[in-house]
Amino acid sequence: MRNREEKGMFKRRPLQSKSEVWMRNIVMGILVVYMAVFLIIPVIMVIAGSFHQWNPLNETYNWIGIENYVRMFSYPTFWQSMLNTVIFCVFVVFFRVTIGLAVAYALNSKMTRFKTFFRTVFYMPTVTPLVAVAYVWKIMYNPQFGLIDKIFGLDINWLFDSKFALPALMLMTVWKDFGYAVILFLSGLLSLPADCYESASLDGADAWQTFRYITLPLLKPTMLFVVVTSIISYLQAYVPVLVMTKGGPGTSTYLSSYLVYDQAFKQYNFGYASAISLFILVLTAAFTVISFKVTGNKDE
Amino acid sequence: MKQKVLKTTLFIVLCLAGVVTVLPFVWMVLSSFKTNGEIESLEQSLIPLAPTLDNYLNLQSNFDFLRYFANSILIAVLVTVIVVYTSCICGYVLGKYQFKGKNLIFGIVMMTMMVPWSVTIIPRYTMFVKAGLLDSYLSLILPVMFSGFGIFMMKQNMEGIPDELIEAARLDGANEFQIFHQLVFPLCKNGISAIAIFQFLWVWEDYLWPYLMMDSENKQLLAVGLTLFNGRYSTDYGGLFAATAISILPVIIVYVIFQKRFIAGVAAGAVKG
Repeated sequence: MRNREEKGMFKRRPLQSKSEVWMRNIVMGILVVYMAVFLIIPVIMVIAGSFHQWNPLNETYNWIGIENYVRMFSYPTFWQSMLNTVIFCVFVVFFRVTIGLAVAYALNSKMTRFKTFFRTVFYMPTVTPLVAVAYVWKIMYNPQFGLIDKIFGLDINWLFDSKFALPALMLMTVWKDFGYAVILFLSGLLSLPADCYESASLDGADAWQTFRYITLPLLKPTMLFVVVTSIISYLQAYVPVLVMTKGGPGTSTYLSSYLVYDQAFKQYNFGYASAISLFILVLTAAFTVISFKVTGNKDE
Repeated sequence: MKQKVLKTTLFIVLCLAGVVTVLPFVWMVLSSFKTNGEIESLEQSLIPLAPTLDNYLNLQSNFDFLRYFANSILIAVLVTVIVVYTSCICGYVLGKYQFKGKNLIFGIVMMTMMVPWSVTIIPRYTMFVKAGLLDSYLSLILPVMFSGFGIFMMKQNMEGIPDELIEAARLDGANEFQIFHQLVFPLCKNGISAIAIFQFLWVWEDYLWPYLMMDSENKQLLAVGLTLFNGRYSTDYGGLFAATAISILPVIIVYVIFQKRFIAGVAAGAVKG
């Protein structure tokens, strides 16, 4: 990376012509103002708001110190939502990565025909609108005439049974999102150096050994990218909960971002919701930093 | 021999996975042509026994669904065009120019991708209410005119364009605005199609923000329309199937048409990232 930049510096002199300076000033000027208004000011407002009792309906905005945070950490639903989010992340990420890798490996094989067709099909759920898809799955989980109970001959009231509601959301999410992992792993597989495989087959490695000791380690950066971006996006998931379960039964499907939605726009506790959303931001930042650390070490 | 067995198993496994992937869509489309009685009957068949268009026709007469559809198309196309343009021009400046503060600006752009919606939506809501932008389409367009993801993708794309090409145009006397619009912009088709599809989809499926901002029902967007419909006619499953089919199929059609470019764009952005 540094190498490339240095090379660029030598080849491209700093901005010379007037039109280059104009272009930079206009474009970057607008971008900076835009980010200040829509990113930096809002983040400051949220941090300030988390120390206030803040309700936009009756226009209260009173300083209460760290009370929102105290309340957050002593609120059982908060911990329940965190636990649900962890379970959700662990299972969905695991299956998304496993299925994504397996399908990508199969698609990458020289023996597979109709590659483009399959690739198009597997990616399809990823590009469909989540709200609509969640409604379709809600009917699929219907205990009387839903597709899932009918096909497997089950009699489970998926979304109204606290044992099955969260797994039902996870199943839908895996179905919707595995295609993205397929595309990323497929492009990772295509970029692997061919000579590793030649020497492996000369050494008499079988297919499993080749996969385990060559492909898998080489795919680590892709794997990490998929895992981290998945966790970050699942920390923000709320649409499936909103459409399919509204957090219930009980609090069994509260995810952390749904709790923010619920507190902010159902109860209008803006200050309290700000505190929870900042907690999610800290978690997101932590995962991002970890991922950069891990990939950074790999490069050296 | 062994090769052939392996080849067939592989094919069958992929086909099975493919069927599981498309089954919900097929079920949705076929069910949208069934009567409610047939959908809720105990004996189920995938193919409608007495196909009917009633679900679609009733949907339109009870509930102005095409209106939501048109609103969503308008906003999604507008936002997509804006974001593609801003992503390309910011990507060009950040990818091809050297200047002080460039890394800081790019760092903040990357940060926008990391900040969860739940953090910005509360202050954004407050700001827009105070600015009197409730119920105005400006409130749906303003907050998404620049995209961190788009700028990041286009910066990657722009770095792949040879400097010599741009330098040659400069020697020919072209100014930067001409170079960007006439030379560089058309060279980024893969990246543009990836951003365009994603951005279109994000506007198309965005629920909470339009729900909070738009008061008049006839200005509402499709995703919110779906929940309004479900809230009002919660037992009209046929109607709901028709409504979901209308909101899902256009996106799938656009995707299938552009999928080659699109997948190339997604893969390119991720590998380098």
